[in-house]
Amino acid sequence: MAGTAVTPVRVGASAVPYGHAIGNEKWRGTELAQLIQGKITLVFEDGLGLVDFHLSNRACILYVSEADIVAGNTFRRRLVRFRKACSLKGITIVEKTRLSEQYFPVIQKFIVLELGMVILPVTNKAEAAQLIIHLVQERSRERLSNPFSRKKSHQLREAHVLQTVQTIPGIGKVKAQQLLQHFPSIHLIANASLTQLEAVVGREIARNVHMFFTRT
Amino acid sequence: STTSSQVPVILADSREISSGSEVISCLKTTHGVNVEVCSLRGCDYIVSNRLAVERKFQSEFSNSSNRSKLVERVKHLQNLFERVCLILEKDRVKPGETTRPFQRTKYYDSTLSALIDVGVQILFSSSQEETAGLLKELVLLEQRKHAAITVPTQVTGHKQDELRFYLSIPNVSYVTALNMCHHCASVKQILNSSLAEIAKCGEISDKKAEEIYRYLRNPSD
Repeated sequence: MAGTAVTPVRVGASAVPYGHAIGNEKWRGTELAQLIQGKITLVFEDGLGLVDFHLSNRACILYVSEADIVAGNTFRRRLVRFRKACSLKGITIVEKTRLSEQYFPVIQKFIVLELGMVILPVTNKAEAAQLIIHLVQERSRERLSNPFSRKKSHQLREAHVLQTVQTIPGIGKVKAQQLLQHFPSIHLIANASLTQLEAVVGREIARNVHMFFTRT
Repeated sequence: STTSSQVPVILADSREISSGSEVISCLKTTHGVNVEVCSLRGCDYIVSNRLAVERKFQSEFSNSSNRSKLVERVKHLQNLFERVCLILEKDRVKPGETTRPFQRTKYYDSTLSALIDVGVQILFSSSQEETAGLLKELVLLEQRKHAAITVPTQVTGHKQDELRFYLSIPNVSYVTALNMCHHCASVKQILNSSLAEIAKCGEISDKKAEEIYRYLRNPSD
C-alpha cells in the first residue's frame, strides 16, 4: 500500500502523451470519465494513489467533490500528503456548489496560500470535464503558442536610453542626444566631470546634470 | 529584513479608488494595512518587492474581446515582477438587477489553463471585502518570506527626479524604483554599482539586476 501514499513516479506517468490523461482507477465508469472520454484519451491505471488524473510529468489533478467538502476537513489530509510526497504541480478542481460554497474561501486560502497549489472551482461534473479537457489540450500545445508565455521584449534599447537621459531635469531631446554622442552610456554620463560636461552642454546644464547624479 | 510586527504596506493604483474603493478602505480599516495610492502605470496592486496583483471582474475576464488587452497586461506584469497574481472578483449586483448566471465558456477555461501554465497565481473572490482579505493574506505571506516593502512609499524633493529616472529604465517596477531611491545615496552610486549591489539595492533578482546593469552601461546590445 506504499504505492497509494506516494504518487509513484513511473514511466507511464512521466510520459503522458499529448491529448491523453491518466485517470485513477476509481473514476472508471463514472459520469466524469464518460464526459471526458472521447474528447481526449483517458487511460485508467491502478496505483495512482493520491492523484485523480495525471496531465503530464509536471502536473496532475486532485478532485475535491461537494461531498468531500461537506463531510469535513479530511480531504485536506490527502492534499497535504500529496504536497509532501512529490513536487508535481497540483491542480485541485473543487466543486463549489450551493451546498459547499460557504466553505470555499477557507478552502481556497488553505490550498493556494498555505499549500501553494492551484484551485479551480467548478459547479458540477460537466464543468469539471470541460476544464480537464482544456487542461489536457493546453499541455498539448506548443509552448510558444501560449499567449502568456514570456518573450524577451526586443524594443530598441537606444530609444529607451534616450528617454532615460531626458528624465534628468533640464535635459530635452537635443541635449540628451548631445550627451550620448560624447558619453555613449548612462554610466559614462554619470561619471563625467563637470569640466567634461561643460564642454558638451554648457555650464548651466552641466551643473544640473552633475548635481543630479552626485547629490545625496 | 522585515519583522512580522511591522505594519504591512501595499501600493494601490489610483484607478482603484473608483473601481475598488471598498477594497482600499477595507484594507485600511479592517485589516490595518498601510495603503499608498499612486499612479502605478499598469499595475493594480503591488504587495511586495516581487509580487503584483491584478484585480479583474469576472465579466471583464470572461469577455473574449478583452483577450489581447489581458495578454498585454499580464505580459507587462511578468516583465516587471517575479510573481503575478490574478484575483477574479465577482461583479457586484446593482440593486434592482438580477444576477445573470455565469456562463462558463471555452475561452474562460482555456484562458485559465494558459495562465496556470505560465505560473500566474489565480484567486477567486466574491466581493470587494473578500478581495481585501486576500490582499492582506498575500502581504502577510510576503512578509514571512522577507519580501515585504520596507521603504517609505513616498519620495520628496529631488528624490522625485531620481524616481522618475529609475522608472524610465525598462522593466523596473514602481517598488523597485522606490527601493533604489531609498537604498542608494545618489544616482551615481547605483551607476557605479556591481551586479550584486544593484540586486541588493533594488531588492530584485540577479537576472533583473543584470538587465539593469547592461542597460546603464551599454548604449546598444
